[in-house]
Amino acid sequence: MIWVSSRWKILLMVAPALIVFTGFVIYPVVYSLGFSFTKFQGFGAPEWIGFDNYAALAVDPFFWQALQNTIVILVVSLAILIPASFGLALLLRRRIAGGGTLRALVFGPAIIAPILVGLIWVFILDPKIGLLNRVLGFFGAAPVQWIGGDTLTPYAVSLVFIWSSIGFAMTIFYAGLQLLPSDVMEASAIDGATGWQQLRHITVPMMRETFAIVTILMITNVFKIFELVFMLTGGGPVHRSETLVSYMYFVTFTNQQYGYGMALAVIITVLGAVVSAGYLVVSRGRKQPA
Amino acid sequence: MSAQLMDTGLEPISEIALAGAPAQLPRRRRGRTAAIVVGVAAYLVTFLIVLPILWIVLLSFQPSGNILSNPFSFDHLTFDNYVRAITSLPLLQMYGNTILIAVVSVTVGTAISFMAAFALTRMIFRRRRTQSALRFYLLAGLAVPVYILLFPVYRLDLALGIFGTYAALILPYVAVSIPFNTLLLTGFLREFPGEIEEAAIIDGAGLWRLCTSVVLPLMRPVIATILIFNVVYVFNEFPFASILINDPSMVTVSLAVSRFQGQYTVDYGGMMASATLVLLPQLVIYAIFQRHVIAGMTVGAVKG
Repeated sequence: MIWVSSRWKILLMVAPALIVFTGFVIYPVVYSLGFSFTKFQGFGAPEWIGFDNYAALAVDPFFWQALQNTIVILVVSLAILIPASFGLALLLRRRIAGGGTLRALVFGPAIIAPILVGLIWVFILDPKIGLLNRVLGFFGAAPVQWIGGDTLTPYAVSLVFIWSSIGFAMTIFYAGLQLLPSDVMEASAIDGATGWQQLRHITVPMMRETFAIVTILMITNVFKIFELVFMLTGGGPVHRSETLVSYMYFVTFTNQQYGYGMALAVIITVLGAVVSAGYLVVSRGRKQPA
Repeated sequence: MSAQLMDTGLEPISEIALAGAPAQLPRRRRGRTAAIVVGVAAYLVTFLIVLPILWIVLLSFQPSGNILSNPFSFDHLTFDNYVRAITSLPLLQMYGNTILIAVVSVTVGTAISFMAAFALTRMIFRRRRTQSALRFYLLAGLAVPVYILLFPVYRLDLALGIFGTYAALILPYVAVSIPFNTLLLTGFLREFPGEIEEAAIIDGAGLWRLCTSVVLPLMRPVIATILIFNVVYVFNEFPFASILINDPSMVTVSLAVSRFQGQYTVDYGGMMASATLVLLPQLVIYAIFQRHVIAGMTVGAVKG
């Protein structure tokens, strides 16, 4: 039965959430959008300049560098993370002594604050004091500039992102695998399907929704990467290792070009939405012929 | 559970299918070897994933000189780094602040989300359209990325005169949690069995009694998921905190972590001991709530 109630009681129930949400989420979004058409340095009145900020972004080399880095991180992370976490879910699904503990350990990095994840990895990737170069040096290899150099930082950030997300992605795949109907598997086993055939023709196709969920979550998470870059390189040298969000943070809060920063924030939001929607369209499109 | 059923279910069937086939015995043995390979692989991968954490913990016991020259030696392990870290870190302050902010924002966020979700699914609006429009309005927040809010919220806090206070962080944390909370709560409340509610209303329960002593207790699993999710978010949140807190005495855990690098420019031992001091409580709490965390994460992800 549904509660029949007076108007003011309904209002009383809905108002607090509505006020806080409108004030601190909806109003800020509108505000950002408005500010992205202005020039504002933190004092005086914002000056309306139309699309000038967006035009300036189009010719800002640091923006393109940050975009390129974000795309590299997106592609590298997804290409490794999705198959790796799915494989890990298949692996940890087998009956292994202490399997529950293993699953918990693998998930562990996902709850560590991103800012702490960044700090931990400084001690692995740092060219001078990091573990990775020491191990390489042990085998006689020359030290590699994993972070803070010209080219490798986005790949290093991908590595750290993969590390911090693999347990999360694995857990969703694991949950998805648990939901598969077991009779289909049994039937195919009777028909003589090998493990590989089962995986390719039954498990993966039936997991389509789960793959879509994990991929969308990871795409949106890549567009949020900020703390990792902040701790690993601070965006340097000269903004070469910046991601979109870390560059937005720099422009807005370090450089105090608020209007310009908000234009960048709007672009990031649109890009994130477009990439996610694009992925959905492509994956739905692939579904039809099958 | 179904995995175990499946594993045990598969064996006898394939054996029947292969009954009398000469390949049966080697196939069995191969199964056992495969199981060992799988087990070893699982432990190896898990070790690799945990290794970065172990490395930090190991280094935190090394004298600072060793970290640069000989980090793999175990001869001179020491607690000195921890002594320095504990004396120089505002441990009590940063945990106190973070816990205070987390408790208030998560309690308020959950409570008001629950009230809204209850009204938007279980109460009768004069116009049905308004009800579903409001539901959609709150859920639309799921699509809003947090970083677009940073600067406007900073300006808003200044305008409201709460910049630099606890409220400066608590209000945005509450606001940001509302869409996700509403998603889980409305999803659950829609399928809530009406009979219990009905009985309570006939027995004369008011709106308050109905919510607190009938509906809320039945929603414990969803509430637990929401609480865990929100607490993890508040503990890990950095961008808002870095902008909205300028008073050193109000530093939160993630803010303190971001300052390690500046604080210990050459004292790597101190930095790693500090990192370990922050890391360990998180890992201990996770170990305790591990089952619920993982369950909550999957519920949230699959539903989201």
